[in-house]
Amino acid sequence: MPKCTINGKEVEVKEGTSIIQAMADNGQKIAHYCWHPGLSVAGVCRLCMVEVEGNPRLQIACNTAVSEGMKINNTSDKVKEAVKWGLDFHLINHPLDCPVCDQAGECGLQDQYMEYGSYDSQMAESKVKKHKVVDLGEKVVLDSERCILCSRCVRFTDEVTGTKELAIFNRGDHSEIGTFENRPLNNKYSVNTVDICPVGALTSKDFRFKQRVWYLKDGETICTGCSTGCNVKAYFNNEGFFRIKPRYNPQVNGYWMCDEGREIYKFINKEYRQLKAQKKTAKGWQEMTAGAAAKDAAKALEGHLKNASLLITGQASMEEVDSLVSTFTTQFSSKKIYHWKNNEAQWGQFDGLLIRGDKNPNTKGVQSIFAKHQIDTIIETLEAEVKAGLVATLIVALPESQSVYPDLMDKLKAFGKVINLIILTAGKVQLQDLTAVNCWVIPTKTFVERSGSYMNHNGLVQKVNKITNIVSEALTLDQAVALLSGGEVTVDSVYGIETVKPLADLNQRPDQVVADSRKKNEFLFKRGTV
Amino acid sequence: MNETKLLTEHYSKPEFRTLKGYQADGGYEVLKKAFGMQPQQIIDEVKTSGLRGRGGAGFPTGMKWGFLPKNGEPRYLLCNGDEGEPGTCKDRIIFDQAPHQLIEGMIISAYAIGSHKGYIYIRGEYKKPAANMEAALREAYQAGLLGKNILGSGFDFDLDVYWGAGAYICGEETGMISSLEGDKGQPKLKPPFPAVQGYLKKPTIVNNVETLAAVVPIIRDGAAGYRKFGTEKSPGTKLFSLSGNIVKPGNYEVPLGLPLKDLIYGFGGGFKPGRKLKAVIPGGSSAPVLTADEVEKANLDYESLAGLGSMLGSGAVIVIDDSHCMVDLLGVLTHFYAHESCGQCTPCREGTGWLNKIVHSILEGRGRLQDIELLEKVANQMKGKTICALSDAAALPVLSFVTKFRDEFEYYVREGHSKVKGTAYAKMHH
Repeated sequence: MPKCTINGKEVEVKEGTSIIQAMADNGQKIAHYCWHPGLSVAGVCRLCMVEVEGNPRLQIACNTAVSEGMKINNTSDKVKEAVKWGLDFHLINHPLDCPVCDQAGECGLQDQYMEYGSYDSQMAESKVKKHKVVDLGEKVVLDSERCILCSRCVRFTDEVTGTKELAIFNRGDHSEIGTFENRPLNNKYSVNTVDICPVGALTSKDFRFKQRVWYLKDGETICTGCSTGCNVKAYFNNEGFFRIKPRYNPQVNGYWMCDEGREIYKFINKEYRQLKAQKKTAKGWQEMTAGAAAKDAAKALEGHLKNASLLITGQASMEEVDSLVSTFTTQFSSKKIYHWKNNEAQWGQFDGLLIRGDKNPNTKGVQSIFAKHQIDTIIETLEAEVKAGLVATLIVALPESQSVYPDLMDKLKAFGKVINLIILTAGKVQLQDLTAVNCWVIPTKTFVERSGSYMNHNGLVQKVNKITNIVSEALTLDQAVALLSGGEVTVDSVYGIETVKPLADLNQRPDQVVADSRKKNEFLFKRGTV
Repeated sequence: MNETKLLTEHYSKPEFRTLKGYQADGGYEVLKKAFGMQPQQIIDEVKTSGLRGRGGAGFPTGMKWGFLPKNGEPRYLLCNGDEGEPGTCKDRIIFDQAPHQLIEGMIISAYAIGSHKGYIYIRGEYKKPAANMEAALREAYQAGLLGKNILGSGFDFDLDVYWGAGAYICGEETGMISSLEGDKGQPKLKPPFPAVQGYLKKPTIVNNVETLAAVVPIIRDGAAGYRKFGTEKSPGTKLFSLSGNIVKPGNYEVPLGLPLKDLIYGFGGGFKPGRKLKAVIPGGSSAPVLTADEVEKANLDYESLAGLGSMLGSGAVIVIDDSHCMVDLLGVLTHFYAHESCGQCTPCREGTGWLNKIVHSILEGRGRLQDIELLEKVANQMKGKTICALSDAAALPVLSFVTKFRDEFEYYVREGHSKVKGTAYAKMHH
């Protein structure tokens, strides 16, 4: 365990730790582009210069291991001058695209320029022209002029996915990132290259031109796309969610996530959601608020809920499942609770990196709670019972992500045989397909709108907090069932989006409000550090 | 004046390039002597001889060999024949005239360091030298001088030629290793150094062609015999490629420490009538230029040229007379480095291009006075900031040209044309 001094602060690190890692671990700022903790050391941006006492030459912090008694500093004038010039070399051929660049606001070049630059360029020559729009693959677009050739993306495809689609072609200041003929960047993790790109060279086709990043807030959650449970950040504003990015967790996903997982924000947004409750009446469907519909169903079904059946998926949180099962077993004295398993044959699949065949975040959680209550019934049993006319009242908690349940509507049609059908759903459902005599459709919340825990494939329980509301009046599953059982629940204000500031703050001038929320949203500045 | 021919004694004989001709003049006798020695004895002999790398950096060869780990790990001996430094053509005559001398030197060196596999990396433009070398390898294999159990010594050594694709950067030892591994020729981060982790991540020694060939006379005459020539810090002889505005350009083998003047006026025959010396680039294009005054004081050895702020480099002496414009010449050099930068490290990738553009702006009559200072600033910031020395190699000539011939640059900027009458930009293709 060598001890060293970094900018006057004594630090003890593990044997073999690089200076840059030691600085990052100890909260010291150091400029860098090519170094990424999840990739090998390239040592090419030459920005992480440090002065090591006793060595007249500046060293790069990423390829220098800390040794006992080392005295390191990166605040001297010599280092600052070197970083300033290092930055200038990056910028001389970089286009002034900031007003139209997606990276603006979370760009490494902008951040470092504010830190070390702030000068007029001495470059009086014409800039090198390169390709502006290069279609690298299904999801990623390259702007070669913006590229600073840090090689992070190349190393990602070499080292993490092993697919090796990307390479640097040509030499000198005409070097460009590119793909080989007929081998586009189409691996299942391709958008990670966009995340690690420190500038706006690689952009995501899905996100580009949709939002300026400074109009987005972010919240921490986990990906519910499969049973891996990657830690992610979800970016949103009043219009909804716009993108998902991975969040470092060495136990689960490291620095990465798959491209599929990045799509999960789509089913959260309003256009895919069941916004209002619906009740089937003699005159057709009647629109209601969620709470009213639940209470209405409770009143109509008083007494019938005993022996009701419940169908549940691995997309509900641990808390919801636990509460539902408890309510059923105690209040309704029913153990007719069924686990809806989709594509179970593929559950064992794993691509070796992150993607798993089980497209539910909480299958293990459901199974563990079922085991606690000695329940092991599955949807096939329920279907047989419905067919035989043995089920009178059925509550179905639909999965949040309906796309991974391809036969969802067929199953719902088949449930038309029951008398009382209550659908708890976050996503939109086709009302005409619901043929049960009495039917209620009650909107529920998604994983970003409620706090909850999920048990991943490995048995790891991860708790996430509510980020914001999309459908304000939607209920959580346990709230809905509590109302059904005749109870009362306190819900967040219908208009209660947590992130709205109390009125007092609105005395501030609007630009001050923006400045404050920027400070809060520190992701704006984090891009330059990791 | 006569050359001191330790290496090149028989180079004038065409048959010396064949195995038969080489053996007729005592070829492969030194190898037999070497096999009678312990490997460590050979290393010690080379160390004592004071032989320094002839490729450009001048690093002591014996010390380099000493960096290899002392274990049985497989190791490689690579011969650097990329010879890309502008002005240099000395390795070429070894490939052409004495391929067996190189092979013999390599077998001895491999035996000393315990390597059983070697490659000779030859630059892409050297088509005929590469073919020559391959023919010699075939002869050597047929005669049992390469392969298993060489000359009954029990020592195995395989040797191959690898033909590069013509990139200056592949002359940098780790760039050459990348190229040899089949990757894009780009230098690798150090540490780890090649002696610890080089070709295929195994311990590797990379030596210049001339260095490996010089092992033969060192073992033949012993370290003391080799030290009879040259200076205390720069023992032995060296091949110098004399080029430029000189009456008799060519390769000359002379003892180190020879006054530069003697090479230019004695061997080179001086200048055309009416012309006089203006400047000399003493060690290949990346060596800082010397003015006519400095040439008076300069000797051809590592320490004398280092004392003048330049370097011996690869031994390519480029002589410039007063008919040349230094701004124009710098344009040639900056263009070369901008073209040859591998593009890996930012200061070099962007800096070489920037320098080139500034010099060409001046040459096209669009120069500003602050451009001269800017050249210095940019070059200073490129020095010592990158993985390999190409960035320094590009910066040093700029700094020396601009400081030593500032009047020519200022004149060019002010007047929009060269101070030297009769020169015109674009006479030469940049």
